[in-house]
Parts: sequence; structure tokens; C-alpha cells
Amino acid sequence: MAGLSITNITKRFGDTEVLKGVSLDIADGEFISLVGPSGCGKSTLLRIIAGLEDQSTGEIKLAGNDVSGVRAADRNLSMVFQSYALYPHLSVADNIAVPLRMRQQKALQRLPMIGRFVPGQRQIRHQITRDIRNAADMLEIAPLLERKPGQLSGGQRQRVALARALVRDPAAFLLDEPLSNLDAKLRVQTRVEIAQLHRKLGATFVYVTHDQVEAMTMSSRIAVMMGGRILQCAEPDTVYHDPEDIQVAEFIGSPKINILPVDQNATGALGLLGQALHLQVEQKCQSVRIGLRPEMLRLSGEQSLLTGTVEHLENLGAELFAQIAVPGLENRLVLRCDPSQRAAVRLGATVGLDFTPAQALLFDQDGTRIRRVHDTSRRPVSTAEVVQHGRT
Amino acid sequence: MTRSLFKHLILILGAIVVIAPFYMMVSYSFKSPGEIDRGEGGFFGRQEMMIDERCVKLRDPDRRDIALAADRFSGQSDDQIRQALIQEAEADCSMRPVVFNYTKAFTEAPLLRYLLNGVIVTGSIFLIQVIVALPAAYALAKLKFWGREAAFGLVLFCLLIPVHAIALPLYILLAKLGLTNTYAALVVPWTISVFGIFLMRQFFMTVPDDLIDAARMDGMQELSIVWRVMLPTAIPALLAFAIFSVVAHWNDYFWPRIVVTGNRDLFTPPLGLREFKGDGDGSFFGPMMATATVIVTPLIFAFLIAQRRFIEGITLSGMK
Repeated sequence: MAGLSITNITKRFGDTEVLKGVSLDIADGEFISLVGPSGCGKSTLLRIIAGLEDQSTGEIKLAGNDVSGVRAADRNLSMVFQSYALYPHLSVADNIAVPLRMRQQKALQRLPMIGRFVPGQRQIRHQITRDIRNAADMLEIAPLLERKPGQLSGGQRQRVALARALVRDPAAFLLDEPLSNLDAKLRVQTRVEIAQLHRKLGATFVYVTHDQVEAMTMSSRIAVMMGGRILQCAEPDTVYHDPEDIQVAEFIGSPKINILPVDQNATGALGLLGQALHLQVEQKCQSVRIGLRPEMLRLSGEQSLLTGTVEHLENLGAELFAQIAVPGLENRLVLRCDPSQRAAVRLGATVGLDFTPAQALLFDQDGTRIRRVHDTSRRPVSTAEVVQHGRT
Repeated sequence: MTRSLFKHLILILGAIVVIAPFYMMVSYSFKSPGEIDRGEGGFFGRQEMMIDERCVKLRDPDRRDIALAADRFSGQSDDQIRQALIQEAEADCSMRPVVFNYTKAFTEAPLLRYLLNGVIVTGSIFLIQVIVALPAAYALAKLKFWGREAAFGLVLFCLLIPVHAIALPLYILLAKLGLTNTYAALVVPWTISVFGIFLMRQFFMTVPDDLIDAARMDGMQELSIVWRVMLPTAIPALLAFAIFSVVAHWNDYFWPRIVVTGNRDLFTPPLGLREFKGDGDGSFFGPMMATATVIVTPLIFAFLIAQRRFIEGITLSGMK
């Protein structure tokens, strides 16, 4: 078990810079998710941590020791791959045993037949068998130990890959989209199991995924990566409710956050489609956009801020998502409402939408969050000071 | 319907062209010299008793034989005794043509020795080819290093060089090293198989990178990865290569003919066929074809056993 510290890592492949100076401190026992769209460099970062790829510049410290230039095999990290990467010719038990054998036995002892007679073998072999059993019991794959990977289902293969990773008590676990190849139902189940495994082992997990739901549900902290940078690294709650960047706000959350353009007059007061929002921005921006989570919007009667027609409905049973076209806005707004409001939001119905402007997330032309906002409807207040959480 | 009929007709024609020489070979190995010359007797020949002229000639009685046999044929003239002895010899030397052909094949030349040489030579060639080709193919397929594409280009280029073009320089090299008439001369020039490197490289390209990365994370060195991960997953491709390699070198006549001069102990099976080429006293097609049949039989059996996996290997569908 050990913490991990990454400082200013860059990586270029030829002319393309995949990582543009990434720094991240991971505490011992933390579950960190690297999340981002494909091509954002999250897998490359994980491979650099693993030692499978060399960074162009920057430093990686594992438990305080610089591991740059240390071979993957000598970093004492375990990795679980998206494709499981089990050895197809070995049985499940042998697959799990490989990392133990490669580390505990010398070349001579690993030889088939002859290895048996090298002194000290009995004990090592017994220990390995015990370790395999423990790992198999923990992941409930004991009945499968004699099978070949080809005879297993996707979920079973995933468990074997996990067992192979945890059998030798590594400094940290690296997981590269381990659930992507599973079907939706199994993914939810395995998600829970991996989170429980993390709690049981208390080990450091670095988990790469493009699925924000996985990141939100499992992690102690989420690092959102875009274009080779970490845009924000914080607890799931903070990333969701208080994003630093419009890209983070758009990536996290399903359905996606509603982004609306707002006008700013000479005094810095904001207005939406001609109506005053009673918000004042200190700095002068070229353009300002506000982000509204689907649950921030609520249905209202006359005199609402926004009025539009319901174009599409998604009924998930426990909740209802309505897509509402508002004249003057390019994109449809998504509204999350309670099934009890079903009658009000019929297809084609005209509905009024309201929200509390002070809750809205404001972003400038570069997509950076605008923190200095004054609510002019009542007393001046800075939303930033209210909601901002400190980093742990 | 007619289309498939037409297809089959063409395939059957092709099959006949391929099988005809084999048919002749096996058929000749059953027949007597007379039947072969006259082209009669069907596939098996009539299998009438025949007399081995050479065997009779070798036992042609001289004066001492007649004197020794005088007791058995008392009261007869030397001429009559001589005739009787010749008749005895003819009786001893007469046999079925198939027996004649196959016994000749094994007695006229040390065929078993040749077969053993064939096994030693093709076996060592294949083994060393694998030892060279697997790491080379792994490096070309999965490792990133400066000049990799150029190296692979050279491999492809080497595929274009015909063996016969470099035979003379190779022979001179071996002769200067004093290696002609040794097993080394038969084996060494073939140990680096660019075809093997190419074939295995293409196969390794299909092995997912994750598998190799997993092996690295599990603590394997690059060479362990080659032997512990790549080799087992590449068995079908390796089997395909084995067939190509073994067939080519088992049947090779050209190269052994060049580097083995005189020393019959090093003859490979195809060289053994030369023992029956017609010198002054006519050709021995029967025994020659019997030898040929004996030589190809192991290959046919090996192919039949490996057939299923061989075809899998060719289509490179071994990995899941």
C-alpha cells in the first residue's frame, strides 16, 4: 500500500502532445477515477503510472520514491485491463499464480518437472496454492480454478483478472476501463463489488473510465481529464455541483447540463432572453453562459423565466425527463421532473420553466467558472464562497 | 447446380493432376520390371513370381561350387550340375515383385540411416528456426525501436532471394570453414528462416497488446514473454510453419546434393533415391519407387495428424 504522487507529467507521441503537464497527488488507500472522453490521455497517464510507457518529462513518486525509469515489473503495481488480458493457454489457477511465480520463484524453480526438486520448493508452492485459494474465495471463483479463460463468461473473466491483480498485495491497483466489455446489468453489479473490494482491501485504486456514472459512484475523488489536462480533481459531489469548467459541467451528469447563453449589459447585470436575472458579474466578459442541471429547473405557471413546448419525453419510472424547446434557444432544455407532474408535461404541451438564478453555474467565454457573482435581487452574495468545498 | 458441377469438375481435374504422379509412384513400387516396361498389370501388377536376375548372376556357379556340389549330384556331368545349381539359385531368387521392390529399397541402400538423417536434419533445422524466428518476430511485431520498419523491410526483401542464387557463395563459405560433409553444412544455412520470421510476425500482430502488458505487469522479462506467453498462443501458426519447414527440408534434394559429397552416412532420404538411378545395367524403377514411397509416407502421416490445426494456423484464427 502506498500513496502516489505525479508531478508535471507530459507525454508526446511524435508531434502530438497527449499529456500537457499533469499533476496529481493520490493518498494511500484512496480510490481515484480518471474520467474523460476518449482521447483525453487518461489511459496514457495510467500506462505511464504503470511503467508501460515512459513520460516525456515529469516525475512519478510511489511511496515517496521516484520510479521514473523503473520497469513495470519492478514497480509492484497491479493492473486490470479492459480486455482482461488473461493468458489463454493457462487455467484460471495458473493465470492467478503467474504474478506470484514470477516474483517468488527463480528461473530454475519455474522449470516444469525439474523445478519440483529444487530445495525450498514445497513451501513456496504451498504458499502460492494458499494465496490462489484466498484470492479465488474473495472473488467467488473457486469453482472455476481448473477452467481455461476461453470457457468463461465475460464477468467471470473479469473476476479472474481482478484475482490475478490482487493476489500479490501490490502497492496500488490500476484499472483500465475494466467494466467496458460487460453488459449493462453486470456492469452495475461489478461496480458495487469493486467498490466493496476497495473498502475491504483499503488499497490505493486508480480507475480509468469514460463512464461518468462509474466515476461518480465508486470514487473518493474524480479527476476529470480533457485534452491532456486535469481540469478538476475533487470529490464526486464537488465535481457535480461546483464544476470549475464548463467542460467538466458538461461531461459529468446525465442527462447533460443545460447550457444557455446570457446577455451582459454595460453594468455587468445579466439577462436571459430579455429578462433580468438579477445577477451581477464583476468582470467584463465577451460572453457569459449559464449552466442549469436538469433538476435545477422546475415547472411553473405564468410569469416564468422560460416558456417552451415539450418535444420529447423519457420516462424512467422513478423520474421523468422532458426535452423542452424554448423559442430563442438553440438547444432543447432537459427538465427532470417527478412522475406526479406527468399530467403537466405531455408531448406538445406548453410549459413554463423557472429556476433560482443564484444557483445557476456561470461560465465565461473560455468556459472558466465565474466565481465573483452578486445576487442583486436581495443582498449581494458570492455563490463561490457559499458552495466551494476545500480539497482534501 | 451446374455451376457447382462445373466447379467440382475443375477441382477433380486439378486433383488428378496432383495425384497422378503419386499413383504412378505407388503403383510402380508394386510391379515387376517387366510390367513397368510394358505398362501393364493395373495398379497392383499381377504379382507373379519373378526372378531377380542380379541375384542369380551373383550366385553363378564357378568351378569350386561345382566341385563342392558334386556329392549332392553324384553321377552327373559338371554341365548338368551347373544347370541344377542355377535352377536352385533361380528358385531361391524368385519372389513377388512387391517384396522384391521393398526389400531392395531397404537392402540396396541404408534407407533407415537416410531416414534417421532426415529426422536429425529437419528436426534441428526447425528447432533452431523457431529459436531464431520467435524472438525476432516478437521484436518486429511488438517492440518499438529505431529502425524497426527498415529491419522488417529487409526481412521482406530476403523473402525474394532465391536459394539457388546464394548456393555457390554459401558452399564456398562452408567449404572454407571445412564444414562440407557434416550435419552442420546441412543445417546451418537454413537456421534463419525469413519466412518463419515473417509468418510469426504477422501472427504476433494479432495478439492483443494488453496481453503483453499484463505479462510485463506480472513481472516477466521480454524473453519470458516470448517463451511463456507468445509461444503457447502461437501454436497453430507454429504448426503451419513446421509443416512448411519440415516438408521443404525433408524433400530437399538440391542442397544436400551440393554439400554432401561422397560420405553416404550423411545422405538424406532424397539422396537415397540416387542409389537406384540407372547406371550401366538398366534402371531399377520398382525399388526406386518403393524408396520414394517410404520417404513420403512419414510426411503424409504427419500432415494428416496436423491437418486440422494446420488449417487453423493458416487462417490465423488461433487467438480469441
